Amino acid sequence: MDQQLELLLEIQDLRMQRRGLTDGTLTDLEAEVFDIKIEDAIQSLDEKVEQLAQKLTRGVRERYRRIADKAPRVVAPVINGICYGCFVAVSTARASEADRNLRVESCEYCGCFLYHVG
Amino acid sequence: MQLREFFVPSAIKLDLAAETKDEALKELVSCMGLDGKSEGILYKMLKRRENLGSTGIGRGIAIPHCRSLVVTRLRVAFGRKLSGLDFKAIDEKPVRYVFLIVAPPLEVSNQYLPVLGKIAQFGKEADVPELLAEISSPEQFIELLDAKDL
Repeated sequence: MDQQLELLLEIQDLRMQRRGLTDGTLTDLEAEVFDIKIEDAIQSLDEKVEQLAQKLTRGVRERYRRIADKAPRVVAPVINGICYGCFVAVSTARASEADRNLRVESCEYCGCFLYHVG
Repeated sequence: MQLREFFVPSAIKLDLAAETKDEALKELVSCMGLDGKSEGILYKMLKRRENLGSTGIGRGIAIPHCRSLVVTRLRVAFGRKLSGLDFKAIDEKPVRYVFLIVAPPLEVSNQYLPVLGKIAQFGKEADVPELLAEISSPEQFIELLDAKDL
Protein backbone atom coordinates (compact mmCIF):
# COMPACT_ATOMS: atom_id res chain seq x y z
CA MET A 1 0.00 0.00 0.00
CA ASP A 2 1.20 3.51 -0.78
CA GLN A 3 2.57 5.10 2.41
CA GLN A 4 0.74 8.37 1.77
CA LEU A 5 -2.50 6.46 1.36
CA GLU A 6 -1.82 4.62 4.60
CA LEU A 7 -1.37 7.95 6.37
CA LEU A 8 -4.62 9.20 4.85
CA LEU A 9 -6.43 6.08 6.09
CA GLU A 10 -5.15 6.67 9.60
CA ILE A 11 -6.20 10.31 9.45
CA GLN A 12 -9.65 9.36 8.19
CA ASP A 13 -10.15 6.76 10.92
CA LEU A 14 -9.08 9.27 13.59
CA ARG A 15 -11.44 11.87 12.13
CA MET A 16 -14.27 9.35 12.36
CA GLN A 17 -13.35 8.66 15.96
CA ARG A 18 -13.43 12.40 16.64
CA ARG A 19 -16.74 12.75 14.87
CA GLY A 20 -18.28 10.07 17.08
CA LEU A 21 -17.30 12.15 20.11
CA THR A 22 -18.61 15.45 18.77
CA ASP A 23 -21.84 14.53 16.98
CA GLY A 24 -23.32 12.89 20.07
CA THR A 25 -23.44 9.34 18.74
CA LEU A 26 -20.72 7.97 21.00
CA THR A 27 -20.31 10.79 23.48
CA ASP A 28 -22.49 9.43 26.28
CA LEU A 29 -21.28 5.86 25.95
CA GLU A 30 -17.61 6.83 25.91
CA ALA A 31 -18.05 9.13 28.89
CA GLU A 32 -20.28 6.90 31.00
CA VAL A 33 -19.08 3.37 30.23
CA PHE A 34 -15.44 4.04 29.41
CA ASP A 35 -14.93 7.10 31.60
CA ILE A 36 -13.37 9.07 28.73
CA LYS A 37 -12.87 12.81 29.21
CA ILE A 38 -14.40 13.96 25.96
CA GLU A 39 -12.69 17.33 25.62
CA ASP A 40 -9.27 15.84 26.33
CA ALA A 41 -9.92 13.04 23.86
CA ILE A 42 -10.93 15.49 21.12
CA GLN A 43 -7.83 17.58 21.71
CA SER A 44 -5.63 14.49 21.61
CA LEU A 45 -7.24 13.32 18.35
CA ASP A 46 -6.81 16.76 16.78
CA GLU A 47 -3.14 16.78 17.68
CA LYS A 48 -2.61 13.30 16.29
CA VAL A 49 -4.42 14.14 13.04
CA GLU A 50 -2.26 17.22 12.60
CA GLN A 51 0.92 15.24 13.31
CA LEU A 52 -0.03 12.73 10.64
CA ALA A 53 -1.04 15.47 8.18
CA GLN A 54 2.43 16.96 8.52
CA LYS A 55 3.86 13.69 7.24
CA LEU A 56 1.93 13.97 3.96
CA THR A 57 3.79 15.27 0.95
CA ARG A 58 3.02 18.88 0.14
CA GLY A 59 0.76 18.10 -2.81
CA VAL A 60 -1.24 15.44 -0.99
CA ARG A 61 -1.46 17.60 2.13
CA GLU A 62 -2.83 20.56 0.21
CA ARG A 63 -5.44 18.36 -1.47
CA TYR A 64 -6.24 16.78 1.90
CA ARG A 65 -6.82 20.20 3.50
CA ARG A 66 -9.09 21.31 0.66
CA ILE A 67 -11.28 18.23 1.10
CA ALA A 68 -11.12 18.21 4.91
CA ASP A 69 -12.30 21.81 5.10
CA LYS A 70 -15.46 20.99 3.18
CA ALA A 71 -16.42 17.45 4.14
CA PRO A 72 -16.07 15.06 7.07
CA ARG A 73 -14.82 12.33 4.78
CA VAL A 74 -11.46 12.69 3.08
CA VAL A 75 -10.97 9.06 2.11
CA ALA A 76 -13.82 7.06 0.61
CA PRO A 77 -13.84 3.28 0.37
CA VAL A 78 -14.32 1.75 -3.06
CA ILE A 79 -16.40 -1.38 -2.76
CA ASN A 80 -17.32 -3.39 -5.84
CA GLY A 81 -16.23 -0.53 -8.04
CA ILE A 82 -18.42 2.06 -6.30
CA CYS A 83 -16.98 5.12 -4.57
CA TYR A 84 -18.75 5.28 -1.22
CA GLY A 85 -18.09 9.00 -1.01
CA CYS A 86 -20.55 9.80 -3.80
CA PHE A 87 -21.95 6.36 -4.74
CA VAL A 88 -20.83 6.73 -8.33
CA ALA A 89 -18.96 3.94 -10.13
CA VAL A 90 -15.28 4.66 -10.50
CA SER A 91 -13.84 3.93 -13.93
CA THR A 92 -13.50 0.24 -14.74
CA ALA A 93 -9.81 0.64 -15.45
CA ARG A 94 -9.23 2.02 -11.96
CA ALA A 95 -11.45 -0.50 -10.18
CA SER A 96 -9.78 -3.47 -11.81
CA GLU A 97 -6.19 -2.36 -11.49
CA ALA A 98 -3.96 -5.01 -9.98
CA ASP A 99 -1.90 -2.35 -8.24
CA ARG A 100 -4.79 -0.56 -6.59
CA ASN A 101 -3.92 1.16 -3.29
CA LEU A 102 -0.33 1.33 -4.51
CA ARG A 103 -0.71 5.00 -5.35
CA VAL A 104 -2.83 7.91 -4.16
CA GLU A 105 -5.85 8.52 -6.39
CA SER A 106 -9.02 10.58 -6.07
CA CYS A 107 -12.60 10.16 -7.18
CA GLU A 108 -13.16 12.26 -10.27
CA TYR A 109 -16.70 13.08 -9.08
CA CYS A 110 -16.51 13.87 -5.36
CA GLY A 111 -12.77 14.45 -5.02
CA CYS A 112 -12.27 12.07 -2.08
CA PHE A 113 -9.10 10.03 -1.92
CA LEU A 114 -9.93 6.45 -2.82
CA TYR A 115 -9.22 3.29 -0.86
CA HIS A 116 -10.07 -0.01 -2.53
CA VAL A 117 -11.45 -2.38 0.10
CA GLY A 118 -11.17 -6.17 -0.08
CA MET B 1 -30.85 -7.14 16.17
CA GLN B 2 -29.32 -10.00 18.16
CA LEU B 3 -25.73 -9.87 19.34
CA ARG B 4 -25.14 -13.55 18.66
CA GLU B 5 -25.64 -12.96 14.92
CA PHE B 6 -22.29 -11.15 14.80
CA PHE B 7 -20.16 -13.80 16.51
CA VAL B 8 -18.64 -16.64 14.51
CA PRO B 9 -16.84 -19.54 16.23
CA SER B 10 -13.53 -18.71 14.51
CA ALA B 11 -13.53 -15.31 16.24
CA ILE B 12 -14.15 -16.71 19.72
CA LYS B 13 -10.86 -17.53 21.45
CA LEU B 14 -11.33 -19.11 24.85
CA ASP B 15 -7.64 -19.49 25.56
CA LEU B 16 -5.73 -16.49 24.30
CA ALA B 17 -2.00 -17.02 23.94
CA ALA B 18 -1.44 -13.30 24.56
CA GLU B 19 0.37 -12.26 27.71
CA THR B 20 -0.13 -8.51 27.26
CA LYS B 21 -2.85 -6.10 26.19
CA ASP B 22 -1.08 -5.39 22.89
CA GLU B 23 -0.67 -9.06 22.13
CA ALA B 24 -4.34 -9.67 22.93
CA LEU B 25 -5.40 -6.91 20.52
CA LYS B 26 -3.17 -8.38 17.79
CA GLU B 27 -4.46 -11.88 18.41
CA LEU B 28 -8.08 -10.80 18.16
CA VAL B 29 -7.42 -8.61 15.11
CA SER B 30 -5.95 -11.68 13.45
CA CYS B 31 -9.36 -13.37 13.74
CA MET B 32 -10.88 -10.84 11.34
CA GLY B 33 -9.54 -12.45 8.18
CA LEU B 34 -7.83 -9.28 6.94
CA ASP B 35 -4.59 -8.97 5.00
CA GLY B 36 -1.43 -8.11 6.93
CA LYS B 37 -1.45 -4.42 6.04
CA SER B 38 -5.08 -3.97 7.08
CA GLU B 39 -4.43 -5.83 10.33
CA GLY B 40 -1.60 -3.39 11.07
CA ILE B 41 -3.78 -0.34 10.41
CA LEU B 42 -6.60 -1.74 12.54
CA TYR B 43 -4.26 -2.58 15.41
CA LYS B 44 -2.83 0.95 15.28
CA MET B 45 -6.34 2.45 15.46
CA LEU B 46 -7.30 0.27 18.41
CA LYS B 47 -4.11 1.32 20.18
CA ARG B 48 -4.90 4.98 19.51
CA ARG B 49 -8.34 4.49 21.02
CA GLU B 50 -6.77 2.85 24.08
CA ASN B 51 -4.47 5.85 24.40
CA LEU B 52 -7.53 8.07 24.87
CA GLY B 53 -8.51 5.94 27.86
CA SER B 54 -8.63 2.24 28.63
CA THR B 55 -11.57 0.24 27.31
CA GLY B 56 -11.34 -1.96 30.39
CA ILE B 57 -14.72 -1.25 31.98
CA GLY B 58 -14.06 -3.19 35.17
CA ARG B 59 -14.95 -6.61 36.56
CA GLY B 60 -12.46 -8.27 34.22
CA ILE B 61 -14.05 -7.03 31.00
CA ALA B 62 -12.60 -4.88 28.21
CA ILE B 63 -14.30 -3.71 25.03
CA PRO B 64 -11.72 -2.34 22.58
CA HIS B 65 -13.52 -0.70 19.68
CA CYS B 66 -13.08 1.59 16.71
CA ARG B 67 -14.29 2.44 13.26
CA SER B 68 -11.95 1.76 10.37
CA LEU B 69 -11.96 1.81 6.61
CA VAL B 70 -10.26 -1.56 6.51
CA VAL B 71 -13.49 -3.44 7.28
CA THR B 72 -16.60 -3.48 5.12
CA ARG B 73 -19.04 -4.63 7.77
CA LEU B 74 -19.29 -4.73 11.54
CA ARG B 75 -16.99 -7.38 12.99
CA VAL B 76 -16.70 -8.69 16.53
CA ALA B 77 -14.41 -11.10 18.33
CA PHE B 78 -14.18 -12.46 21.85
CA GLY B 79 -11.04 -13.52 23.71
CA ARG B 80 -10.59 -15.02 27.16
CA LYS B 81 -7.44 -15.10 29.24
CA LEU B 82 -8.28 -16.58 32.61
CA SER B 83 -4.93 -15.65 34.15
CA GLY B 84 -5.72 -12.02 33.32
CA LEU B 85 -4.16 -9.19 31.29
CA ASP B 86 -3.05 -5.77 32.43
CA PHE B 87 -5.43 -3.46 30.53
CA LYS B 88 -5.16 -0.46 32.84
CA ALA B 89 -8.86 -1.01 33.46
CA ILE B 90 -11.06 1.46 35.32
CA ASP B 91 -11.01 -0.70 38.47
CA GLU B 92 -7.29 -1.45 37.94
CA LYS B 93 -8.01 -5.17 38.02
CA PRO B 94 -6.76 -7.65 35.40
CA VAL B 95 -8.92 -8.17 32.33
CA ARG B 96 -9.95 -11.72 31.57
CA TYR B 97 -12.58 -11.16 28.87
CA VAL B 98 -12.03 -9.03 25.78
CA PHE B 99 -14.78 -8.11 23.32
CA LEU B 100 -13.40 -6.53 20.15
CA ILE B 101 -15.73 -4.45 17.97
CA VAL B 102 -14.79 -2.91 14.64
CA ALA B 103 -17.12 -1.14 12.24
CA PRO B 104 -16.69 0.59 8.90
CA PRO B 105 -17.13 4.39 8.81
CA LEU B 106 -20.31 3.99 6.78
CA GLU B 107 -22.96 1.59 7.93
CA VAL B 108 -26.33 1.42 6.26
CA SER B 109 -27.86 -0.38 9.21
CA ASN B 110 -25.91 1.61 11.81
CA GLN B 111 -25.20 -1.33 14.10
CA TYR B 112 -22.00 -0.12 15.76
CA LEU B 113 -23.53 1.89 18.57
CA PRO B 114 -26.23 -0.65 19.51
CA VAL B 115 -23.72 -3.52 19.47
CA LEU B 116 -21.27 -1.56 21.61
CA GLY B 117 -24.08 -0.63 23.98
CA LYS B 118 -25.37 -4.21 24.24
CA ILE B 119 -21.95 -5.64 24.97
CA ALA B 120 -21.36 -2.95 27.61
CA GLN B 121 -24.72 -3.79 29.17
CA PHE B 122 -23.93 -7.52 29.02
CA GLY B 123 -20.59 -6.89 30.70
CA LYS B 124 -22.23 -5.08 33.59
CA GLU B 125 -24.57 -7.96 34.49
CA ALA B 126 -23.53 -9.39 37.85
CA ASP B 127 -23.26 -13.04 36.84
CA VAL B 128 -21.57 -12.56 33.44
CA PRO B 129 -17.89 -12.78 34.50
CA GLU B 130 -18.57 -16.03 36.31
CA LEU B 131 -20.54 -17.47 33.38
CA LEU B 132 -17.83 -16.47 30.89
CA ALA B 133 -15.28 -18.28 33.03
CA GLU B 134 -17.29 -21.49 32.88
CA ILE B 135 -17.87 -21.86 29.14
CA SER B 136 -15.74 -24.44 27.39
CA SER B 137 -16.53 -23.98 23.69
CA PRO B 138 -17.43 -21.20 21.24
CA GLU B 139 -20.86 -22.78 20.93
CA GLN B 140 -21.42 -22.37 24.66
CA PHE B 141 -20.46 -18.72 24.32
CA ILE B 142 -23.17 -18.29 21.68
CA GLU B 143 -25.60 -20.20 23.92
CA LEU B 144 -24.81 -17.80 26.75
CA LEU B 145 -25.74 -14.84 24.54
CA ASP B 146 -28.92 -16.73 23.62
CA ALA B 147 -29.74 -17.34 27.27
CA LYS B 148 -29.31 -13.62 27.95
CA ASP B 149 -31.55 -12.91 24.95
CA LEU B 150 -28.83 -10.82 23.31
